[in-house]
Amino acid sequence: MMTGMERFGALMSGRTPDRVPIVCNLLDQGARELGLSIREYYARGEHVAEGQLRMREKYGYDTLAGMFYSALEAEVLGCRNIIYADDGPPNVGHLVINTPRDIKSLHVPDELNEHPRFRELTSCIGILKKGARGRFPVLGVVTASFSLPAMLMGVGPWLDLFINGDPALRDELLETCSLFCSRQIAALREAGADLIVYVDPLASATFIQLRKFRELALPWILRDLEAHGPAGVIFFNGGGRINPILADIREHVGIGAYYLNPYDDITEARSLLGPQALIAGTINDIRLIDWSPDEIDREVEKIMLAGKRAGGFIFGTLMMPCGIPEENIRALVAATIRHGHHAEAGACL
Amino acid sequence: MSEGIDKQILDSYLTALFDTDKAAALRIVQEALDGGLTPEQVVFEVIIPGMEQMIGGMISDNLVTLSQHFLASQIAEEVTDRLIPLFAAVPEVRGHVVIGTSHGDFHGLGKKIVIGCLKARMFQVTDLGINVAPETFVDQALAVGADVIAISSMMVHTATGERGPKRVRQLLRERGVEDRLRIIVGGAPYRFHENLYLEVGADAWGDTAAQAPEIVASLVCEVRS
Repeated sequence: MMTGMERFGALMSGRTPDRVPIVCNLLDQGARELGLSIREYYARGEHVAEGQLRMREKYGYDTLAGMFYSALEAEVLGCRNIIYADDGPPNVGHLVINTPRDIKSLHVPDELNEHPRFRELTSCIGILKKGARGRFPVLGVVTASFSLPAMLMGVGPWLDLFINGDPALRDELLETCSLFCSRQIAALREAGADLIVYVDPLASATFIQLRKFRELALPWILRDLEAHGPAGVIFFNGGGRINPILADIREHVGIGAYYLNPYDDITEARSLLGPQALIAGTINDIRLIDWSPDEIDREVEKIMLAGKRAGGFIFGTLMMPCGIPEENIRALVAATIRHGHHAEAGACL
Repeated sequence: MSEGIDKQILDSYLTALFDTDKAAALRIVQEALDGGLTPEQVVFEVIIPGMEQMIGGMISDNLVTLSQHFLASQIAEEVTDRLIPLFAAVPEVRGHVVIGTSHGDFHGLGKKIVIGCLKARMFQVTDLGINVAPETFVDQALAVGADVIAISSMMVHTATGERGPKRVRQLLRERGVEDRLRIIVGGAPYRFHENLYLEVGADAWGDTAAQAPEIVASLVCEVRS
């Protein structure tokens, strides 16, 4: 039986693994594993690492998530208030940007690890890397420069700025966010992240038209990844549909793996991307809250059928809500293992 | 103004919305007013059809995006607010809605789009903002004499949590005012799970902002009948 790392390694070198690798994004659930509140859990990188290692061991999926919550990026850039919930991800409670002057004074630390929250994150990734012992890839997660302003100033004001606002001010903000993004990628890789999940919901077809994507978002994807390059990067939908932008990203940026939205068609994605790129197909994980194990099995089977046909396939979830019962998480992983086996393991894709 | 010219104005306005070109859209509105259309005609024959065709996804086979929704709604709200005082007769208010995002939820985009749609359709809207406590929804709804409480949630836990719509329902029940108010919900979690609105105690949900005026109108009708 292959390890998660071997499965990803096989896919990335064009071979067929023993089964479809599973990415199961359990984040806040780690607090429950450790008997901590979500605030206590995220206070220390070692807690998050312990939670991730335990959950991977318990459920048997193939990756380790080296991330806390998205709002941590806003914290590093000056957000002074994070709102914690008992049953969901922490939220931005203070917007860093309220005026054009705030954009001009936005500052990216030269050394991200000097920020105590970022240091906890990289410490977590270091522990995960050690705990993984080469068996499971550790995922580092960054928000794209084009989407990060939504966390700093709110989605509406950011849409307003890039649709109606001053282009010079918009570009100044994106320059700063891009610098932060590329520094984050470097720091997460240095800490031990094997793969970088690049999250760009505002660039998705749910938010902007293809023409706007090409004009406004694509240049910043290129900029964000200029220093690091596209190798080992997974383009993550972030909750929006991405099929309409796949061909452009593949052609111009060269990213090798794409994490679809549940509403993106897997077969269409394959024809848009060509044979080489990897595709992660996702389940609508909100439905896992109340689907029965049989319903989960049927849904997984359907996704796997399309995925295996497409080839180069990874099975994924979005950000699993806390309300999903443990037995449904187990049912999900069991179904993905059951339906994800490849008879032709080792063959070239 | 002839029907043909109106259609030409509407087509140009739709093109501007589709291109998310706010300056062009506002220029078309101004030119229509300068050209002799009444404020009522601009609102009812250009702004509202434009907003509904855009947000309802009727002008293109392609996916209509949130940025287009946002712009159509933003312009609808701005222009309607500016032109209503110029109407020949005070328009009849179709109902009063208090709206906000659920407790712990700081995502205001969907709410903003819905507000534009409701205002353009002559609903009175009281915006309670983001991260609204359930008690505030009920207190404010009663204080302003609202018919409908609208609760937007971007995240599953803020939609289904104990301080979200469920608690608003409970408060309405405890205060004996369930017959005077209806609850409508909207936001991403409901789009991924079509019966979730029932589980959180709402009376209705809207898949898109364009549906909100029609659904709210029927809720107002229930309350007032």
